[in-house]
Amino acid sequence: MADKTNHDGNLERFMNQLGDSVLALSDGNIRAEVSEAGVDPDGEAERTRTVLHEALQKLENVNRRLSNLGHTVNSNGWHRERSGYRNACVTCGSFVSFTPATGEIRGEALDGLCLQSDQYTIRRREASR
Amino acid sequence: MGHLFSSIETTPPSPQIEPLEPTLLPPCSINASSKSALLVEGDQSLLSCFRQLLEKAGYAVRLAPDTEEGLRLFRECGPFNVVLINYYVPEKKGTGINCLIPQIHGVRLAASIRDMNPSQGIIIVALDYQCASDVPRPAEVAQIPVLIETGNGQLRSLLEKIEVDRAIKGLTSSELLQLQLFAKFRIRGLGRAARGRDWEDLLEEALYRTLIGAEDTQNGRHWNRRVSFVQHLKGAILSIASVWKRQFKEESTYLMSELLFHDAEGQDYSLIDNVASSSSPADQRLIEKNEEDRVLGLFNDDSEALQLLRGLMDGLRKTEIMSRYGLEEKKYAAALRRIRLKVLSQRNNGSRG
Repeated sequence: MADKTNHDGNLERFMNQLGDSVLALSDGNIRAEVSEAGVDPDGEAERTRTVLHEALQKLENVNRRLSNLGHTVNSNGWHRERSGYRNACVTCGSFVSFTPATGEIRGEALDGLCLQSDQYTIRRREASR
Repeated sequence: MGHLFSSIETTPPSPQIEPLEPTLLPPCSINASSKSALLVEGDQSLLSCFRQLLEKAGYAVRLAPDTEEGLRLFRECGPFNVVLINYYVPEKKGTGINCLIPQIHGVRLAASIRDMNPSQGIIIVALDYQCASDVPRPAEVAQIPVLIETGNGQLRSLLEKIEVDRAIKGLTSSELLQLQLFAKFRIRGLGRAARGRDWEDLLEEALYRTLIGAEDTQNGRHWNRRVSFVQHLKGAILSIASVWKRQFKEESTYLMSELLFHDAEGQDYSLIDNVASSSSPADQRLIEKNEEDRVLGLFNDDSEALQLLRGLMDGLRKTEIMSRYGLEEKKYAAALRRIRLKVLSQRNNGSRG
């Protein structure tokens, strides 16, 4: 059944080349091809846009939730780990993790307000007095 | 929260906003720049600060010292890539504000702009607050991001989010289809290394890397505006797929059920039985070989597609395949099309990936 020749990466190479070939298709051809595969091209296009928008929204929700609690995270401080991304508040150091698959946010940063944030913020309101 | 906006005290007129100091960056021409920003800020030092930050990020900036002028500029020159509005900006030039009570002018301008153009990217600047949730604002502008810090890359992160949002909205349906199919074929190429992830996971991950790469090219994938958004996402997808593959190779383990097959008589056999023990990743190669045979088997009745497929698997380029098998351009394109359709429809029947 199985031979001993080296097939390492053959399928990957082939699939990758198919992927590359898609990028060279004209607008009309790609729509026609998707239709021929029995799928609604407009519906699939919007589905793809939704995937991108939802991802944007998930990360926005994480940032908003942290911001609402007064935590500040470096946008480039997110580190990819096995199940998701991890970051820490730059002022209080509490951790937060975010699982892209579910949009779930966890960590001690969600336990309450950032207690140290106002020590580092110059308040114009106070300065104007 | 409505009562918070009903009482507005007006303090004696504050000093007129002086012209910007000559040491500031020279203003970019709105017409010459690909990115534009409207900055509605009544405080001169903050105005200088934000103007510099925006210009450093490549924005040509229009300035408005009050909401009246901000609205006029928006009507005249909008939409902008981004509109930054200070929460405490006065309504009219020379009108003072009382920072001790909630203000309505900034959020009212944000709401008006949102009404005129719902997709306009807006940021409300409220540096006087500790938390975004503390900033009093009506529900209709609650979704507009609030900037409470000028440091830590928060502004850059919000600008990147707005730009990416704009880019997503601007993708044509054929570009979206290209991205989807590109991601689907990459996932199929990963095989078991995909670990059950599908094209949506791959595309989603590409977007996260873009957003967290706003400043960092190590962790994320910064979107260099010199390439299109599609090209950028394609690059991110390639990079992520390659990382997933490497991680899988480093940690790969197999279930016995994945290596056991049944023949036509219902006899069980293991793929490992036929492999020389010296082949280190033999089990993985056998699984790949099995999948490769399955794909080849789809084209048993299509000799041109089969030739092309073998050529692609051997890593040959288009011209090399055409030359080796004597295929003309049209026949090559038609065969490639048949292969894509069949491979995709196979997948469509099997899973969402």
